[in-house]
Amino acid sequence: MTHAIQTVEHTYDVVVVGAGGAGLRATFGMAEQGLNTACVTKVFPTRSHTVAAQGGVSAALGNMGEDDWRWHMYDTVKGSDWLGDQDAIEYMCREAVPAILELEHYGVPFSRTEDGKIYQRPFGGMTTRFGQGTAQRTCAAADRTGHAILHTLYQQALKHRAEFYIEHFATDLLMDDGVCRGVVTLDMNTGIVHIFRAHQVILATGGYGRAYFSCTSAHTCTGDGNGMVLRAGLPLQDMEFVQFHPTGIYGAGCLISEGVRGEGGYLTNAKGERFMPNYAPSAQDLASRDVVSRAMTVEIREGRGVGPKADHIYLHVEHLDPAVIHERLPGISDLARIFAGVDVSQEPIPVVPTVHYNMGGIPTNYRGEVVQRRGDDPDAVVPGLMAVGEAACVSVHGANRLGSNSLLDLVVFGRAAAHRAAEVIGGRGKPHSPLPEGCPDPALQRLERLLHAKGGKPTAAVRDEMQHTMQNYAAVFRTGETLDEGCKRMDGVYKSFEDIAITDRSLIWNSDLIETLELENLLGCAVTTIHSARNRCESRGAHAREDYPERDDQKWLKHTLASMAPNGQVTLDERPVHLNTLTDEVDSVPLQARVY
Amino acid sequence: MAQFTLPANSRIRKGKVYDAAEGGGETRRVRIYRYDPDSGENPRMDTFILDAHRSGTMVLDVLLKIKDEIDPTLTFRRSCREGICGSCAMNIDGVNTLACTKELADISGDIKVYPLPHMKVVKDLVPDMSHFYAQYAGLEPWLKTQTPTPPDHERLQSRKEREALDGLYECILCACCSTSCPSYWWNSHRYLGPAALLQLYRWIADSRDEATEERLDLVNDAYRLFRCHTIMNCTATCPKGLNPGLAIAKVKRLLAEREV
Amino acid sequence: MRSYQSGVNRALGLGSAKNGFIAWWRQRVSAVLLIPLLAWLGIGLALQAGADFESARAWVGSPINSVLMIATLAVLLFHTAVGLQVIIEDYVETEGLKAASIVLTHFVCFLLTIAGSLAVVRIALGS
Repeated sequence: MTHAIQTVEHTYDVVVVGAGGAGLRATFGMAEQGLNTACVTKVFPTRSHTVAAQGGVSAALGNMGEDDWRWHMYDTVKGSDWLGDQDAIEYMCREAVPAILELEHYGVPFSRTEDGKIYQRPFGGMTTRFGQGTAQRTCAAADRTGHAILHTLYQQALKHRAEFYIEHFATDLLMDDGVCRGVVTLDMNTGIVHIFRAHQVILATGGYGRAYFSCTSAHTCTGDGNGMVLRAGLPLQDMEFVQFHPTGIYGAGCLISEGVRGEGGYLTNAKGERFMPNYAPSAQDLASRDVVSRAMTVEIREGRGVGPKADHIYLHVEHLDPAVIHERLPGISDLARIFAGVDVSQEPIPVVPTVHYNMGGIPTNYRGEVVQRRGDDPDAVVPGLMAVGEAACVSVHGANRLGSNSLLDLVVFGRAAAHRAAEVIGGRGKPHSPLPEGCPDPALQRLERLLHAKGGKPTAAVRDEMQHTMQNYAAVFRTGETLDEGCKRMDGVYKSFEDIAITDRSLIWNSDLIETLELENLLGCAVTTIHSARNRCESRGAHAREDYPERDDQKWLKHTLASMAPNGQVTLDERPVHLNTLTDEVDSVPLQARVY
Repeated sequence: MAQFTLPANSRIRKGKVYDAAEGGGETRRVRIYRYDPDSGENPRMDTFILDAHRSGTMVLDVLLKIKDEIDPTLTFRRSCREGICGSCAMNIDGVNTLACTKELADISGDIKVYPLPHMKVVKDLVPDMSHFYAQYAGLEPWLKTQTPTPPDHERLQSRKEREALDGLYECILCACCSTSCPSYWWNSHRYLGPAALLQLYRWIADSRDEATEERLDLVNDAYRLFRCHTIMNCTATCPKGLNPGLAIAKVKRLLAEREV
Repeated sequence: MRSYQSGVNRALGLGSAKNGFIAWWRQRVSAVLLIPLLAWLGIGLALQAGADFESARAWVGSPINSVLMIATLAVLLFHTAVGLQVIIEDYVETEGLKAASIVLTHFVCFLLTIAGSLAVVRIALGS
């Protein structure tokens, strides 16, 4: 059965794509300022993957010991292995305090201290006095902080009467001579294509963990914004930096929060040894995630993994007081029971490093505006386009994100984007100039083509090949050889998309079509990731090259830019890292060796 | 009148049988409700026969396997696959639950999968949730205060006051409870259902919220709240182990305190 | 025909009547009152088992028993009316039919209360 695709047009001041933490914060931030705002989302807002964040959100509130946002900034720069832009990091860490208090004022049910303040727990890489002590900086709502924050943000969006287009899948940006003019979406419920014109489009589409076979990410984390940006001819930044979370449940891949180690949990190998002190003498189990993941991988590779195949590691919490587990880690007890069949009060949890977060994404400045290199200007703004959250690369996380900086990134830059969009647009209901003739046509043709695709390879088969290729060739440790092979294979998988087959021809809730659109976005992310990884001949943060084991600031203290032609050809470029701070309230963190 | 039989266009036909077992070993039959809105035909029950040892651990694994390998048109919502997003709520083995946390080993015999009961079906296992969401939005589920917000610190809350929110704030809006409630089946146009009422009580129970009067007024109604007849299907079915029935009882008790 | 009414509009409907508690409360209170009343009635009737007409009539006609008998009838029928109303509200969706059924059940229960009470009064007064 075939149908002609129908279209509907809308005009808004701003369209936000995605309704996770960053998208919602931006949406009601702009609704609050009176802008005509629409939020387009492929899942109902509280289903977004922010909901799965567990451990907490960092801010130097100092509720449980001394703290200073400058220390937080130092930790973040060090965590990023100096690849993070220090102006943006300064902005994030300084704004963290008011941003988290604001969340509390919105009603987030944070856990509390004895004197009624927000409870804060230790987290990996978070220190006091520039690396001297351990900071308690991560604000937590038990181990369901993401859930608590996401639901509260949705409630605030309801309060501000923000307009939602739910179960609308954004397919492409409307670009007009380098300016973003809107976005095209497919209403999954009806199959009608909506053409949104907007003065600003804000992409808040999250990460692309599903490019890998084993990840903590939801099925919906498919890098849709990244894919749209690539198709619009714009580059993605630092795609080689993929964070492996040390503690994904072995087999199922579900996340076990770093908060578990923050509350006193620790890792052991097959000999029952706590091995982290050998790798990070001072921070031990609370070293930064890339360090712990590498340590675990080394243990497993050297034959000290646990289990019949010696291919995972144990995470222990059974020594903790059951009351502490009940109050602060109730969710992970459930997860361990359901997905690993483990009673955490009796046995260790089997864990393995699992793809978790994408430091790379759409390059932006600290206001959320998308930037690209244009001539001599490495920070040229792309008019009409902004990006926030995991989809964006501000870059505050550089080569490795610290745990609990992600939820912070969402709220700080979601809010910043709302302010900036209001500033740029300059008032409600400004007129739109007409779209050039045929501007949405490529998007419509692409939909039409995929809806009727009759090739030889089902979506699931191509996806499976991509996931295994990425898992095998762009993992925790990389070498030039495996990356060469990986690039070759990924290019092949990308090509095979031309032969894609779709079975469902319906326009109503065609999840076969949606998965295929998602796959195309994932393929763009995967190809740029592995090519960027091959290009970077050094080890920095999450990008660990065995053939180049050292960080090389002479050659590689720079961001990678990767753009992709429609035929899958990747072009690489670079942008300088901002080592300068935003204000003179803090000094830039000088380059030094990164030891935990 | 409340309907006790399915309307003619909702009666379930016999569906197709897909035998995907590779022979030899033990098999597992998965029976899935299918509805194709384009065909105009009545819904049907399709049967998928799979190798028992290759079906995965959870019901969601089976559904994904069928979609990936046998019939890509099979349609259902899913996202986090760890029981926190609430997307994959459906009726499995006669009970509303999340496909991602429902273990195959807990089901004896055929695995029967239906959409959430008594909802309009959009396609296959995808129900129309818009009324459920609108009821939630209609409750104005956000913090309301009169006391000015402290400009430079958080609102204080004791650990005990915060503990009052445990078992309430964890709701994932999956709608398993509401769609298991006979009162909600018959009167969802006016009865708010256990999920929305649990959320209402979540704000009443919050020591920071100052709108209890308004919230109680909002549900002091023979339908909105008092259609709850303490059947307790909600509590029995909640995949997160919450107790909406108790929350509703507490709202009723607060009304009694106010009026008597 | 497709409705363009918003989802929230439909969910809010006519709003809260702000009096739902009272009917629920009356049903609970009448149920609680019925526990001792029905216990009294049950024991009383059991003790009258095998008695002849005159002695049964005398039992009903005694001052305490006739008062309790009228109270039992009134509370029982009140509870019946309120309970039937809940069932009608549960299962009858058509507004007119629903209102009519509720009025009718209440009226019938009211009539039965009057009739029953009158019978007890007549026995008590020996007329």
